[in-house]
Amino acid sequence: MTEPQATPPRYSIVMPVGSRFDDLGELLAGYREALDTAGASYEFIVVLDGPNRALLDVLSRTAAADRRIRVVELAKPFGESAALAAGFDAARGAMLVTLPAYYQVDPQEIVKLLAAAGEADDMLIAVRWPRAGGVFEKLRRGSFHALFRVTSGMAYRDLACGVRLFRRTVAEEITLYGDQHRFLPALASRRGFRVREVELRQSPKDQFRSHYRLRDYLHRFLDVLTVFFLVRFTKKPLRFFGTIGFFAAGLGGIVMAVLVVQRLFFGVLLGDRPALLLGSLLIVLGVQTFVLGLIGELIIFTHASGMKEYTIRRVIQAPATLPATEADTAGLADR
Amino acid sequence: MRMKQPEISVVVPLYNEEDSVAILHRRISDAMQLADLDYEILFIDDGSRDRTLERAAAIAVQDPRLRVVAFRANYGQTPAMAAGIDLAEGRVIATMDGDLQNDPADIPTMLAVIDEDTDMVVGWRKNRQDKLITRRIPSWIANRLIGRVTGVPIRDNGCSLKLYRASVIKRVPLYAEMHRFIPAMASIVGARVKEVAVTHHARQFGASKYGLSRTYKVLLDLLSIKTIIEFAQRPLLWSGLLALPFIVASLVTLVAAFMPLFSPGGQLMLPFAGTGLLFGALALFLLLSGAVGELVYATGNVDLTRYSRISAVRRDAHD
Repeated sequence: MTEPQATPPRYSIVMPVGSRFDDLGELLAGYREALDTAGASYEFIVVLDGPNRALLDVLSRTAAADRRIRVVELAKPFGESAALAAGFDAARGAMLVTLPAYYQVDPQEIVKLLAAAGEADDMLIAVRWPRAGGVFEKLRRGSFHALFRVTSGMAYRDLACGVRLFRRTVAEEITLYGDQHRFLPALASRRGFRVREVELRQSPKDQFRSHYRLRDYLHRFLDVLTVFFLVRFTKKPLRFFGTIGFFAAGLGGIVMAVLVVQRLFFGVLLGDRPALLLGSLLIVLGVQTFVLGLIGELIIFTHASGMKEYTIRRVIQAPATLPATEADTAGLADR
Repeated sequence: MRMKQPEISVVVPLYNEEDSVAILHRRISDAMQLADLDYEILFIDDGSRDRTLERAAAIAVQDPRLRVVAFRANYGQTPAMAAGIDLAEGRVIATMDGDLQNDPADIPTMLAVIDEDTDMVVGWRKNRQDKLITRRIPSWIANRLIGRVTGVPIRDNGCSLKLYRASVIKRVPLYAEMHRFIPAMASIVGARVKEVAVTHHARQFGASKYGLSRTYKVLLDLLSIKTIIEFAQRPLLWSGLLALPFIVASLVTLVAAFMPLFSPGGQLMLPFAGTGLLFGALALFLLLSGAVGELVYATGNVDLTRYSRISAVRRDAHD
């Protein structure tokens, strides 16, 4: 690690290194060459997700030669989201760039990414295009993004690509945990940040994992569900649970009503009806789901003061009362 | 920063109201100046897609009493009000709609009502200028229901023109679409509410942003509010009340299941026994949920004891 420089650089590059990585020396050289081509002032933060002796040696040598490179080592593997968050904490630049530790886009394309950022953009995400891959690969990718589009209502083409450029405020406002780094664009756009996709050339060395285990699919699916829930119902859990509970209890109520009518008017004894169990089971399930939603509401109510539902872009006011007409967004939101 | 605390802050959430902004600003200013009040105005632009923000900003540059807060995106009416309330500096905070249907001339009258015994004044649109079938009748039913359920009988919960003592409203958690239930939410913290009849104009510009479709959501919200209020006041009682019918059902069915055993040759009625056990389990689940609810309150940020000492807060506010 080096001591902080006097003026913070414009770009902070954060590269989380997890279990999957390519030749870091070569990759770093490629990225740095591109950054130098772009003439960017930058710092490069490599976050090792868990101790790795060999990697640390390689990186330390590089870092010793260039004080713009810093290495953060996590005490144990916490996952990519946590690694990114640690990197963001260490970052000092106004713009953050995340880069994967393996080949996804051609390193030279970083120049294009930096150049594409306009005043109106809060976040740029890379789309590997044109994209290699067989039919099965395309199908798998397509169905994941389609599922995400259906559940969240947001269309993205390449959420798996880790190349992203965004303002510092995005990282300050969104807490990443679990596997959510993949959905950072969705979470950001939900908070009102303007997210745009940029097509970058795919690196020829970009490898697909040849086989996915069933567990991987299940994880992706649960991730999508988590985001779906986070995005749609965090503020109003009862609208989610309540609807499910209402249908279950309603169905149970109908079963019960049918049984009671048959008992009263047709003389079919209730004690002989196993359907009675089905009806009561559905009612029990419905009520329990509903009550879970109510507890969710209690949690939101008691913690509402801790979460801001809005972000202020700026406050406009006559200069007579306050010298600054444009107040710092983050500062105001925290007030 | 202004050194002196203004008497009143008028908070107006705006969403696509480009035609109304200038008129609204003039009406509020006129009403405040006529009543000789020290005031400030806060326009909250909730991510409008038209020229609302530009027009409001143009006025703000001219008028030091106006602050325009621009949201990054469209978050909804409650967050807009919450932002205005957070940023307001006045002793009393007034909220109203940006569609010119409320009349700011009512504010001085309502302000006079806020005194030692009243923390909150809500407007009551006595002669409401909206469609009878789609707006007024559903609203009448909703208000009766909300009043009955929350225990705060207000004739017009939908009227946005409300005045609050700042020290009270700043402590009420406002989130999601809770602006409809602010009187009920405020009653949890011990606020005393009064009602004043206000003028209501027909809509001049733009289209109404609400319709009948929200009924289902309001009903669910109402249930949440009821739970929140009940838990805040009598925590375990609420879950006990919910559990009671299931305890009764469980006992009845269990008795029915075991009765035949007492007559010769009788057999256990299995469906009844199963049902009885299920309902019994549900009752237990509900009681335990009540305990979890207690836990949530105990760990949450809402300190209810702090709220109950409103009188001390109010004395501060008058100093």
